[in-house]
Parts: sequence; C-alpha cells; structure tokens
Amino acid sequence: MPLAALDPTPPQPTLEGLAIETRGLTKRFGARIALDGVDLRVPRGSAFGFLGPNGAGKTTMIRTLLGLTRASAGSMQLLGYPVPTERAKALTRVGAIVEEPRFHPYLTGRENLRIVAAVRSPETFQRIEPALARVGLAERAGEKVKSYSMGMRQRLGVARCLLADPLLLILDEPTNGLDPGGIQEFREMIRTMVEQEGRTVFISSHLLDEVEKTCDAAAIVDRGKVITQGPIAELAEGGAHHELIIAVDDPRRALEVLAGLEQVHEAGEDDGALRVVLVDGPETAAAINAALVTAGIGVSRLEPVRHSLEQRFLEVTSRLDAAVEEVPA
Amino acid sequence: MSTAIAWEMTSADFLKLRKRRGTLIWALVLAILPLVIFFAVNAIQHASDPASHGPAGGTANFHDGLRLLGGVFFGPLVAILIGVEAGTNDVAAGVFRDLVVTGRSRLELFATRVPAALALCWLVITSGYALVLLGTFVFADGTPTPDASLILNGYAFVLLATGVLCVVAVGFSSLVASKPAAIIALIAWQIVASPLIASIESLGSSRNIVLSQALAHFSPLRLAGDHGTELAMSGSTAVIVIVAWLAIFLALGAWRTCTMDA
Repeated sequence: MPLAALDPTPPQPTLEGLAIETRGLTKRFGARIALDGVDLRVPRGSAFGFLGPNGAGKTTMIRTLLGLTRASAGSMQLLGYPVPTERAKALTRVGAIVEEPRFHPYLTGRENLRIVAAVRSPETFQRIEPALARVGLAERAGEKVKSYSMGMRQRLGVARCLLADPLLLILDEPTNGLDPGGIQEFREMIRTMVEQEGRTVFISSHLLDEVEKTCDAAAIVDRGKVITQGPIAELAEGGAHHELIIAVDDPRRALEVLAGLEQVHEAGEDDGALRVVLVDGPETAAAINAALVTAGIGVSRLEPVRHSLEQRFLEVTSRLDAAVEEVPA
Repeated sequence: MSTAIAWEMTSADFLKLRKRRGTLIWALVLAILPLVIFFAVNAIQHASDPASHGPAGGTANFHDGLRLLGGVFFGPLVAILIGVEAGTNDVAAGVFRDLVVTGRSRLELFATRVPAALALCWLVITSGYALVLLGTFVFADGTPTPDASLILNGYAFVLLATGVLCVVAVGFSSLVASKPAAIIALIAWQIVASPLIASIESLGSSRNIVLSQALAHFSPLRLAGDHGTELAMSGSTAVIVIVAWLAIFLALGAWRTCTMDA
C-alpha cells in the first residue's frame, strides 16, 4: 500500500486525554453478559490492541462504542465526547471497520466510497481519490466490488475509514484476509498513522503476534471482562520475575554457586541448561556471570528469557479457565 | 441536515437503486411489456378484423392502459419492487452499520430513501405512461383521443397511485428488514387481499381503509364515469386513508431504522 499523502492539511490531533474511555460498560443479551463492567482507557496518538479469544466480547465492545447497539449500563467517551449523548460529534472524526468490511457488491469501489462521503459531508468527496491511492486501490476503484478479493475489500474498508480524516480508527480484526505482504504493509500504514499523523488506532484482534508487532499498548479481554491493560512491554512482563537461561559445563556445581547468590531467587535445570529466576531486573546478569566464572565454571550461554504477549495472554486466560472450573455449577 | 447533504444523500440512495440492475430491469419490464403486449394484440386484432375489434388506440384504450399502469397490477408491482429495494438494500448488503458509524442520524438515513425511491419509481412509471400515450394516439385510427386535461389527470393519477405505494413499501420493508418477506407481503396485500376485502359487502364502509380503494377515488376513469369495481367514498375520506397509510408506515419504518441493532 503506497503511503501517499491523504490530505494537504493533516488533522490537528490533541494528544492529551484519552481517545476512548469507558467506565463500567456492560452489555447484556438476555441473561448472557457480553461486556461485564469494562473500564478501558485508550491514550490518544497510540496504536492500542484489544486482544482476546473468539467470543471474548471484542466486536460487542466495538459495536457498543459506535452506537450500533445500546449499552445496558456504564458510560463511555470517544475523543472526549460522551456517547451516546454527543455521538454524532464524536463520530465525525472516527473511522471504523466492524467485523468484515461490507459493501454494495454491484457498485464500484469508488461508488461505494461516494455513498459514505455523501452521508458524511460535502467536503468528504475530496478525500475519495487520496484515500483510494493510499490503500493502493486507485487503479481498480472503477471495478465492481464483487470482483474484489477479501484483501482488497479490507483495503477499501480502510479507505472508507480515511474519508473521515479520522483522529480515531477502530478496526475489527483488520488483517483478516490479507496475505503476509499485505499484513506487513498494513502494519506500516498503521504505524505511519500513529507516529507521523498522530492518529489513534484501536485494533481488536485475536492475533497476539499482530498486536505485539503493531501496537504500543493493549488490553486483554476475556468473557466480557478486561483482564489487564497497559503498554505491550509491561503487559508481556506482567507480574513475572526476570529470568535467565544459562548454559554451563558443570550444572551441579553451578546450582550450588547460584544458591548462594542474593541476586538469585530460584534456580533449576531446564532442558540441559539452567533456568534462573532473578530477584531484580536483568542488569544483575553480569554479577551472576562473574560469580560463576570466578568459581571456575565455564559459561557458554547466558541470555534473558523474553516473555511474549502470547505467554502472558495464555497465562491470564488459562487462569480464568481455571477459575471458572473451580466454581461449582 | 443541510439541503446540500440531503441532496447528496438522496443522490447516493438513487445511485444505489439505479445501479441495481436486476430490480431496474424487472421494473422496466413490468411497466412496459404488458402495455406493449396490450397495444400489439389490440392492433393485430383490429387489423385482422376491423368489424369486430375497434382500434387499439383512442380514449377507451387509454383508460385500459391507465388501469394497467396505475391501478390494477403492473404499476403497483413496480412501486413495490423499487420501494422494497430502497428500504432494505443497505441492511441486506451489511452496509447500514457503516453508514450509522458516520454519526449521521438514523432518521436522516431513513428519510433520504423515500425521495430516491420515488424518483426512480416515477421515472419508470413515466416511461410506461409515455408508452400509453404513444399507443393511444398512434393506434387511434380516427376514434376520439384524450384531451390535455385527461392526459394530465391520468399522469397525476399514476404518479399518485404508484408513489403512495412506493413510499408505503419503503416504510414497510424498513420495518421488516427483509426483502423477500416485504415483497411477498406487499404483493399479497395489493393483488389478493385488497380486492378480496373490497368485494366483501358485509364489511360495509370499513372497506374504505383499503389503500387501493382510496387511491382509485382519484382515478380519471372514475371522473369519466367508469367506476369499475371501486367503492364509493368521499374525497376527504380518501385523503385521510391515504395520509394515514403513509404516516403509519413511514413512522414504523423510521422507528425500526432508529432502534434496530445495526
């Protein structure tokens, strides 16, 4: 997707405050609770991942934020405007793709954008061609949408969002149907929007890797509840200790040495190497290495364990699974 | 909503309708083909046996053409097809939610469907009416032809009859949010239930609530003394019935559009 300039006068985003804020947001479908008292804080000028397994309530959250369905309880604000009270003002600068992007298949890509431009405002028509160029569809905008691939429809969906010159983009599983090259281009486009244009991008996804690579911060949601939220690095670390993997020539003696070090919380053998849980951060690795070498132990490998968002995600969602299993029916 | 935005939104709705080839072709076929067959058969019969069959044109055949287009079957079918398409196409395509998330009020989204549907319906009906006039004058063969007043009255009647039904179809289909269900229900009402109810004499004046009977009150055929099967009712009653149908179905369609999960 070529990153052509969309508008000669880019938005003047306010980086202060929150792009999205919800308090106790609840949505019930009969007896089933799809959103359960969600408190969410999405900072402006960031890419924010809304991460959760299928059925966790991600799409319901987006539909509720956008006023497609009514909240059962709680309050929410988009770009500082209370919703639904001032929904129209808030959505003026919001672009959104909910579930898969849908279009009138018998109209061309350009005609589909014209329809949305007509609903937004007369000046929106000027943004149609730049938006098509930006998502790489300028050449095929005259073809009927029924001939488009899923990836092209995703791009057209993003172009439709760009018609709003959005301060906030809300994208529901946006990389569905994109090939690896398309995903990479999409990721670059999101980063450009955030870093160079100051837009806020809210991405719901069940793809941990995608969120980790694209987003600055995220919330992990399951069964309608936000389990945790914050910057990606902090989320991945969670409450876990820092760990090291150390390969040595005499593991038994090394364990004896490590047991005597105040920097070491716990140590044990793990798959032919030693797994060492630190009391403090990874900066103590040098002292541990020095202690082992001083004791005459050969160290052939020493590396910090990187916690991924995936591990953290599985940890919190499996914790929930366990909690559910413990509750008698 | 400013006039400029209302115009753009109506134009966009009109674009969606006119590009819907299947609906447009069927509407044109229903508006034109029966009239072509009507005039062609009458012309052939007159040519082969002038003593038994009068000319295919003239005022008498103008009345029959008017009845085909405005009152009985084909004109109302055109109005139903186009009205239902206008009322359901955004929801059916899954695009309605994308229009809602622009922040535009749902009432405005509903409201602009109506003039767009009327514009296309009346374009198609006008082409049919042009054909009625063409057949009336080309095949008159010396028989009396309608004067300007009857021509204008006839045109106003077909626009009224199809326009009202088209608006009702927009409202009703927006209410049920299902194209097949709306088409079946409206055709069943218009073609089967309405004549049936009108024919049950024991129902008395309550039959006046049938829309097609109220619309028929304004037919130039009635003014010309050709009452057909229509019920007698006062002009004010006919107006009240028509306005009530419009108000009820527009209100229901707007309510559903404003409250449905998009």
